[in-house]
Amino acid sequence: MKSSDAELSHLVAQIALKDGDAFRAVYERTSPKLFGVCLRILKDREDAQDALQEVYVKIWRNAQRFAGSNVGPMPWLCAIARNHAIDVLRARRPASDSLEEGAQQFPDDAPDPESTAVIKGEGRRIDRCMQELDPQRAEAVKSAYVEGLSYQELAKRHAVPLNTMRTWLRRSLLSLRECMER
Amino acid sequence: MSNPDQSEGDRARDEVLAGEYVLGVLSAESRARVEARIRRDRPFAAIVARWEENLSPLNDEYEAIAPPDFILPMVERRVLATRRRALASRTSTFAGLWGSLAFWRTLALASIFLFAGTMFFTFVAPLPGAPDAGRSGQRQPAPLRPLAELAGQNNAVSLIARYSAGDGILRLTPVATAGDQPHSLELWVIDGNDKAVSLGILPQSGEGELAVPQALRPKLKDGVTLAVSLEPYGGSPSGAPTGPVLALGKAQMP
Repeated sequence: MKSSDAELSHLVAQIALKDGDAFRAVYERTSPKLFGVCLRILKDREDAQDALQEVYVKIWRNAQRFAGSNVGPMPWLCAIARNHAIDVLRARRPASDSLEEGAQQFPDDAPDPESTAVIKGEGRRIDRCMQELDPQRAEAVKSAYVEGLSYQELAKRHAVPLNTMRTWLRRSLLSLRECMER
Repeated sequence: MSNPDQSEGDRARDEVLAGEYVLGVLSAESRARVEARIRRDRPFAAIVARWEENLSPLNDEYEAIAPPDFILPMVERRVLATRRRALASRTSTFAGLWGSLAFWRTLALASIFLFAGTMFFTFVAPLPGAPDAGRSGQRQPAPLRPLAELAGQNNAVSLIARYSAGDGILRLTPVATAGDQPHSLELWVIDGNDKAVSLGILPQSGEGELAVPQALRPKLKDGVTLAVSLEPYGGSPSGAPTGPVLALGKAQMP
């Protein structure tokens, strides 16, 4: 773990103890990144400002969950910001789908999540694994993640039917999973 | 597979569902359902956490942009109510010491050294029964005094250990509890290259008190390593640590 990560972990852990100074320190270090997340997903400055406030209130409330999460501090903080911004986006532009719709049987070649969740340093492997995907599908995965696009929006952008986009992304996720375990 | 009641196809479907959730492609309704499941299904939550970690290099795509200055005061005002309560507890008297923020903060600060990568196990008070300046003549029940601080290397979980040699009681108090999923904290003693031996399960929060079995008491000696791991609820099924080690430290007896 990098020392800056270690310091940030420590500060987030202190927020769990309701330490206002640690909260401010975390805000000062991380708010530009998290504001960038909110802006990129919401594409509106005022919405992003509102979202950023909610994100830090959530960080204050949920800091205790960080301790046992096995996720690095920046990924953890970014996940809170992404999740909140995506929720706002979905509320603004309702997308419909169903968990069951298009459900398929997939071969199970994934290892036990609990034994691998603790493995650190899979990190940059994502780059290599993304390169193994078809370029158009890799682009779809990336824009889904970075911009928080729904299946419908991705299908429209890539000019493919909705079910094709679903299949692309689901197969891509399984390929990524398989690749990162190698 | 960890979950015998789950078919293999379901496992692959969970992988995909967790990945879809982390990518952010699901609808509001599906997201709410996935989030509810994360809260009650620990193996599924682990899959989500792994996707979050694995996809996190894509966060490099987000440019850092300074937010306007007025946001921080607004956020601070909103969390002020809780913060004020915390400040009040800092001024609490001796009786409230264990619950006081200042106390825990001091402990937590100690863990900074841990993050440098070294193991850390420091006596903060002499062992009961050890020569104690000015009080060695008095006969009184041996109080449980702080024995050691154990701080996590990656997880920022800190514990304080207090041991009473007289009755063999070892008490551990987690500084920050680990998430809200059902789990147990298990304490292990490791002597040299020997396999870890379980000293027992700690309560999830509050004060952890363990009666060290008579047979294991000789193991609590200079140079042994104490470790706390996160285990399935009820403790390790295999008798050896299976989960991540949240904290560890080496004992140095005087």
